[in-house]
Amino acid sequence: MDITRILPEECLCLIISLTSPVDACGSAMVSHALRSVADCDAVWEKFLPSDYKSIISGSSSSSLLSLGKKDLYFHLCFHPVLIQNGTMSFQLKKESGKKCYMLGARALSIIWGDTPSYWTWKSLPESRFSEVAELKLVWWLEVKGMIDVRILSSNTNYAAYLVFKLRNRRTIGFRHRAVGLHINVGGITSREVRRVSLDPSQNETQHVREREDGWMEVEMGEFFNEFGDDGTVQLSLREVDTSYFKQGLIIEGIELRPKNTGS
Amino acid sequence: MGSTSTKIKLRTSDQKVFEVEKAVAVQSQTIKYFYENGCPGSVIHVHSVSGDILSKILDYCKKHVNSAAGKEDISPEELYEWDTNFVKVDQNTLFDLILAANCLKIESLLDLTCQTVANMIKGKRPEEIRTTFNIKNDYTPEAEEAVRRENKWAFDMLGV
Repeated sequence: MDITRILPEECLCLIISLTSPVDACGSAMVSHALRSVADCDAVWEKFLPSDYKSIISGSSSSSLLSLGKKDLYFHLCFHPVLIQNGTMSFQLKKESGKKCYMLGARALSIIWGDTPSYWTWKSLPESRFSEVAELKLVWWLEVKGMIDVRILSSNTNYAAYLVFKLRNRRTIGFRHRAVGLHINVGGITSREVRRVSLDPSQNETQHVREREDGWMEVEMGEFFNEFGDDGTVQLSLREVDTSYFKQGLIIEGIELRPKNTGS
Repeated sequence: MGSTSTKIKLRTSDQKVFEVEKAVAVQSQTIKYFYENGCPGSVIHVHSVSGDILSKILDYCKKHVNSAAGKEDISPEELYEWDTNFVKVDQNTLFDLILAANCLKIESLLDLTCQTVANMIKGKRPEEIRTTFNIKNDYTPEAEEAVRRENKWAFDMLGV
């Protein structure tokens, strides 16, 4: 006997919501009856983070709450929404519905960031934020970000990524020179500082990756968020060898998103 | 300790009568409701559940009540394993257990049985789900293509 004729809709809903977003989409293609269950709000509400309503109502896109839950889920996967007065973005990882955040440049603490001869703030069409920070000239390069792990999905391995660009011309101080990337979870300072070149030549190890949104990214470190009780995660980019100057780095922000362990 | 030795009588769809310890029977929110709102000592009819299925369900409730009350020395891992074996049944029995758990309102059993079916769906392509659960494809080729386009990323992941 066909399962969709035996079990009532509420049970089928529960079953689909215990699979995954990928499986729910796969189930939609099985038959009309299973599709009406696999697309229903009760299923997708379970795949959305439990606090999605408060996150979206505090965002610049609160009208999204009127969407059906499956549409909302996919909107949040593909279109980050701005929160915290436009200084942070929020989106979902489509495979799992887990939360991803980006701290925009305005949410970071940038040493000398308020001094226009060192850093300038400009708007770029490829940025999700209204402003990005462009490095005009510094000897002391230091950028820090901080995030409360309670807002992240629990039982999830996260990685942090510096999202940036190098100006096409007049980028100085990054080729053949590494910057230090550092992550600190719950006040426990890890000894490990990643030394990575943001402008690698072809024969160097490639840590920098091109993103779909046109920016570049480099991993700063990873951590496992079990229950969200580790306090804050601090992330930093540092290059404070003052014997040479640096210019041409454009910072979009620092992104935190789930990362499969071992990948 | 009077309440633990109180018995509740249940009559199934096939007219079998079970005399069950109250603590076990009231794992079902439905039975609890009828017990608290009906005449004392009267038989509660569980119309939609057969004797075979009720007997299994009572085994489940007894195991969980005893383990929660510390009457039975069983670790969470052992209970998990017991649950895993409990749902190793044929598909018809599994569906009957779901229907009964839903109607009797036994939330943990409903979750356990529905999770078992969910695990049978996970990672399967639509065609495999149809075969597993005997579902007929009632899409026209055009409609099927439209659903496929709408959920394209998922099909890429499922390797369809």
